[in-house]
Amino acid sequence: MRKDIEIIKLIFKTQLVWRFDIAANVLFTISKIVFAYIVWSAVFGEKEMIAGFTFHTMLSYYIISSFLSQLDMSERIGWDISSAIRGGTFSKFMVLPINTERYFIARTIGASAFHLLFHLIAAVIWIFIFQIRFAFTGDIYMLLSAACFVIIGLLFMMQLNYMLGILTFQFGNIDVFLMIKSTLVSFITGTLVPLILLPASIVAFMRVFPFYYITYLPSMLLIGQNRDEIITGIITLSLWVLAFVPVNKLLYHRLRVRFDGVGI
Amino acid sequence: MKRNLKFILALIKMKLSHMMVFRLSFFGAFFVDGSLFLIQILTFQAIYSQVDSIGGWSRGEMIIFIGTFSMINALNMVIFFFGVITIPDKIKNGQLDHYITKPVSPLLRLTFENVNPGSIPLLFLSVGIITYGISLLEITVTPLRVIGYIILVLIMTVLWYDIELLLRIIPLFTVSAYNFSRLEDSLLDVSMKIPGVLLKGVFKLILYLVIPYGIMSTFPTQFITNTLSPGWLAYGCGIVILFTYLTGRIWKLGLKYYKSASS
Repeated sequence: MRKDIEIIKLIFKTQLVWRFDIAANVLFTISKIVFAYIVWSAVFGEKEMIAGFTFHTMLSYYIISSFLSQLDMSERIGWDISSAIRGGTFSKFMVLPINTERYFIARTIGASAFHLLFHLIAAVIWIFIFQIRFAFTGDIYMLLSAACFVIIGLLFMMQLNYMLGILTFQFGNIDVFLMIKSTLVSFITGTLVPLILLPASIVAFMRVFPFYYITYLPSMLLIGQNRDEIITGIITLSLWVLAFVPVNKLLYHRLRVRFDGVGI
Repeated sequence: MKRNLKFILALIKMKLSHMMVFRLSFFGAFFVDGSLFLIQILTFQAIYSQVDSIGGWSRGEMIIFIGTFSMINALNMVIFFFGVITIPDKIKNGQLDHYITKPVSPLLRLTFENVNPGSIPLLFLSVGIITYGISLLEITVTPLRVIGYIILVLIMTVLWYDIELLLRIIPLFTVSAYNFSRLEDSLLDVSMKIPGVLLKGVFKLILYLVIPYGIMSTFPTQFITNTLSPGWLAYGCGIVILFTYLTGRIWKLGLKYYKSASS
């Protein structure tokens, strides 16, 4: 555990070098809020209430889900592993005195912790700029549950991206797959549109999979909705995380022998 | 002109033989962008399940809008995207030298040297989306209107090229233009999701005039659904002429500032 904490601290510090780039990147996340503001302004011009949302709770949902999705820095795991394998530099991770998956998880936690502050500031700025009457629950149980979902959800995304990354050992180039995955994930986690707007049968199907609980459910909990889904949600998401532990271990041990260390 | 055409054909031939070496990633751009626009349709289907219209636009108009954006994007991907995006790196590491010292227009070569036929299926997908949108609207589309629409789509593709190039030649004047690229991503993201008819105030000013991504898919959609006024049509053509002129001038000016990092 000490090794993990050291990596987290190290990555946190190295992020400081890029602080201005990070601040600029965070500002450009405005596109999601602008989309929500313009489209939902037009939609709510015709109706006052849509699927249990008012205009302001809808925008609060987008602010929170955008914040949570930006916090997830795990996408870089897949890209970094993929390029390291293809470039022959993956051996530097193999010789580290720490489990490879744990190393990438610790690295992502360090980066996410640094970005947390920037994204929080951005969220507050958007609330003021767009004059949103921000809906946020005062229920401690819902707040703590949302925090649990966020933590376990981020862990799942790190596991998923790690798994996709090490598939490069097998397929050589997974860039296209990573890009398609990114588009799909933004939809099925509810970042583009609240999942409640989809047909009920599809939503019921999505509850079996972890993506429902990563951004959508914690966002809904934070605006004070979907309280009754907490227990089943925590169990489902935890089971997925547990299932990925042996899968990733097995895949890594099977596939790493295919690494030919280009350029070594 | 004939010499340029011959040169473009030679570039396409070279690119095709290069792509055949990496057959697996041949259709990569098609799958990536195809999934992007299909998700876009699903997003709006979800919103339209709650309302009949958004800012006066029905489901059919929105689908034509998405299909048109997909079409312009596909033309961009097939013809010039993969060539234009390499410009900042070529400026930074001095590779532009190899282009300006050859007896052919450097811009012509940079534009057409990386054509990507793998995105051609995206054109067919876009036609499918647009046809579906038209069928939802139950409007009669005359052949003349289709021709006008095609011309407008081509004009807007030129506008996309102009803006893409303008943002990529900034490194001729500055060291890095990384954040301009991020700005472009954000504006494109907004423009592909929000039809221009929904824009108001400062958003309309930015996306209709400063960086006019907002008109690229909106105007052709309005044209084919017969809701584009002659005034806006003239405005659209005027903007394209203005941006094409500006891009040409700034490219020439930029070349004078080019310091050739490699020598």
